[in-house]
Amino acid sequence: MEFEPKIVSFLCNWCSYTGADLAGTSRMKYASNIRVVRVMCSGRVDPTFVLKSFREGADGVLICGCHPGDCHYHEGNYKCLRRYHFLKKYMAQMGLNPDRLKLAWISASEGKEFAQLADEMAETIKSLGPCKVKEEMEIFD
Amino acid sequence: MEEKRIGVYVCWCGTNIAKMVDVEAVAAKIAKLPNVVIAKDYKYMCSDPGQEMIVKDIKEHKLNRVVVSACSPRIHELTFRKALENAGLNQYMFEMANIREQVSWVHDNREEATIKALDLVKGAVNRVNFHEALDKRSVDINPATMVIGGGVTGLSAALELADAGNKVYLVEKTGNLGGHVANIDLTFPGLNSAAEVLEPLIYKVNNHPEVEVYLNTTIDEVFGYVGNFESTIKSGGKEYELKFGNIIVATGLTPFDPGKISSYNYEKLPDVITSLELEKMLKEGNVVKKDGSEPKKIAIIHCVGSRNADYHEYCSRVCCLSALKFSNQLRSALPETNLFQIYADMRAFGKGCEEFYASTSKKDVMFLMYDQQGDLPRISKAEEDAGYEMGIEFYEKLSGEDIIVPADMVVLMVAMEAHEEAKEVAHAVGISLCGNEFYIERHPKLDPVATTTDGVYIAGTCQGPKDIPDSVSQAKAAAARILASIARGTVEVEVTTAVVNEDVCCGCQTCIKVCPYTAISFDEEKNVSVVNEILCKGCGTCGSACPTGAIRARHFTDEQILSQIEGLFSKEMQEV
Repeated sequence: MEFEPKIVSFLCNWCSYTGADLAGTSRMKYASNIRVVRVMCSGRVDPTFVLKSFREGADGVLICGCHPGDCHYHEGNYKCLRRYHFLKKYMAQMGLNPDRLKLAWISASEGKEFAQLADEMAETIKSLGPCKVKEEMEIFD
Repeated sequence: MEEKRIGVYVCWCGTNIAKMVDVEAVAAKIAKLPNVVIAKDYKYMCSDPGQEMIVKDIKEHKLNRVVVSACSPRIHELTFRKALENAGLNQYMFEMANIREQVSWVHDNREEATIKALDLVKGAVNRVNFHEALDKRSVDINPATMVIGGGVTGLSAALELADAGNKVYLVEKTGNLGGHVANIDLTFPGLNSAAEVLEPLIYKVNNHPEVEVYLNTTIDEVFGYVGNFESTIKSGGKEYELKFGNIIVATGLTPFDPGKISSYNYEKLPDVITSLELEKMLKEGNVVKKDGSEPKKIAIIHCVGSRNADYHEYCSRVCCLSALKFSNQLRSALPETNLFQIYADMRAFGKGCEEFYASTSKKDVMFLMYDQQGDLPRISKAEEDAGYEMGIEFYEKLSGEDIIVPADMVVLMVAMEAHEEAKEVAHAVGISLCGNEFYIERHPKLDPVATTTDGVYIAGTCQGPKDIPDSVSQAKAAAARILASIARGTVEVEVTTAVVNEDVCCGCQTCIKVCPYTAISFDEEKNVSVVNEILCKGCGTCGSACPTGAIRARHFTDEQILSQIEGLFSKEMQEV
């Protein structure tokens, strides 16, 4: 059977979640690998959430926030961006391919862009293969 | 600790969800999860019987937590929270899984969609285990309203509010009230004077004891929240600190610049003018060419910048009727002139409009159709001895021929664009733009003048192209919404703010640095951070920065989100 990755996607309530809803109301089709977790702001995405996702068995994590300058809370997306770069480095140090994590800006009107992003992310993760974190951590359980 | 008793409801949404997700299987599997007392599927959870079922079950089965798996929480979260309240349960003991917009409508493999839906519901069930009851918070509504924009929409809204005895601060960017309607000669379809509509409004507003008008003024930033907004505005060299409970944004439109369409040669050929320029001539009663002579042939081109993927895909809604109106006016003013309507599709919807189209077509006006999907008409200078100034070349769809229409004057029916400063205003008041930079309403059908920001309403062409009656209707609808909140006097606000656990706070003050609202201060004596709940908007940025986990974003706590993630991957999913 073909590898079907599970991708956890943290979407901010104001732009990205609404954009993902728009993809739905516009009946756009995209890969079903995305599992959405709604947060009020991409600035709420604690690095722990990302690491927890991998620990639980996610093969990829996609964070989406409002475009720079458009954050409902002024600047939460910038804070997310800083944490994202830090997380990427941290992931590499931990032996986890940083390409498994992606941050993108999706506005409330970008349903099409969200659908494309979901497809691209699914393709990227498929090419990387399953993430072994959960399996390898099981020896500690 | 009280026993957790969760009820899960999986909605079919008619066939919207049930067609792509095996809702019965989802309900059956979820029923086996720990703490789930009851799991049901039902045709329409949001319907009266659906909600009553939840209320009844809460009472009968002593449920203390509820998950509804249906459409987007942005549509019905509040509906179901209300149902919980009706059953005597705290509204925050509720979680929604979005299996319509984010599952059934976007996938085409039923098995995959069902697996995904099950994962999402499991996440929601896991999360709701950690939900906690939050107390309601009511705030008083300041009865004053700020109206941004002094066009026909802003004026109508201001009067509606002020006539009910409430203070209105009307802020207008330009030096005059009236907006674009002030430049219009006659309105369609009745051919009545636009001034008859506008002048009484302006007079009343200027002389109303409850309305304060600030001309040449823009809004930089608005602080606060529904019921209690504040802004400092600069007007006439003075600063005013205004306090108000609600905001109506009525910033209007910007006309499309036809210079972007090169084949029309706007500003290159002297007698290619916009619909707005023709309005001005009609208003002055002097329709002449640039050289001062009378045009013998006038052509009106429709859909300039509208209904064309290269410019704007949307229809600007008023241009067809305005063009017909021009034909009537020009026929009266210049009885001998040849009139051509070069249109793409004639859209004469609205009361009295189709009739107006029919009557105009009997007034010696030639209607020619161009192909909106093909090449746009090309306007070029005619030869010296042609007997007319310009030739408009295009493929005429109805006859199937390439033709050249002679013209001495060409009128371009320019599209309505979102206001050029729509983005700045959106940032100032905290609302969102759609792809075309018009403002997004909370719900296109059920709540068309509200926005996702409580206390901020939108009306008129800032929401999308529309005519005067529709703009005024929206203005009055927005005013009615605000009057209702003023009549109640108070409004319930979200209590999903941050809170500090003083026992765990180490006093590092990281949260203070990241808070965009300066809502967190430091208690030097206790050596802990303190959240001002009035200022906090619940973004949760502090929660993800806190190194000790002392600060929690209520309803989006670490515990809740981490358990949701666990739920997405819980073992049970592999059985499907």
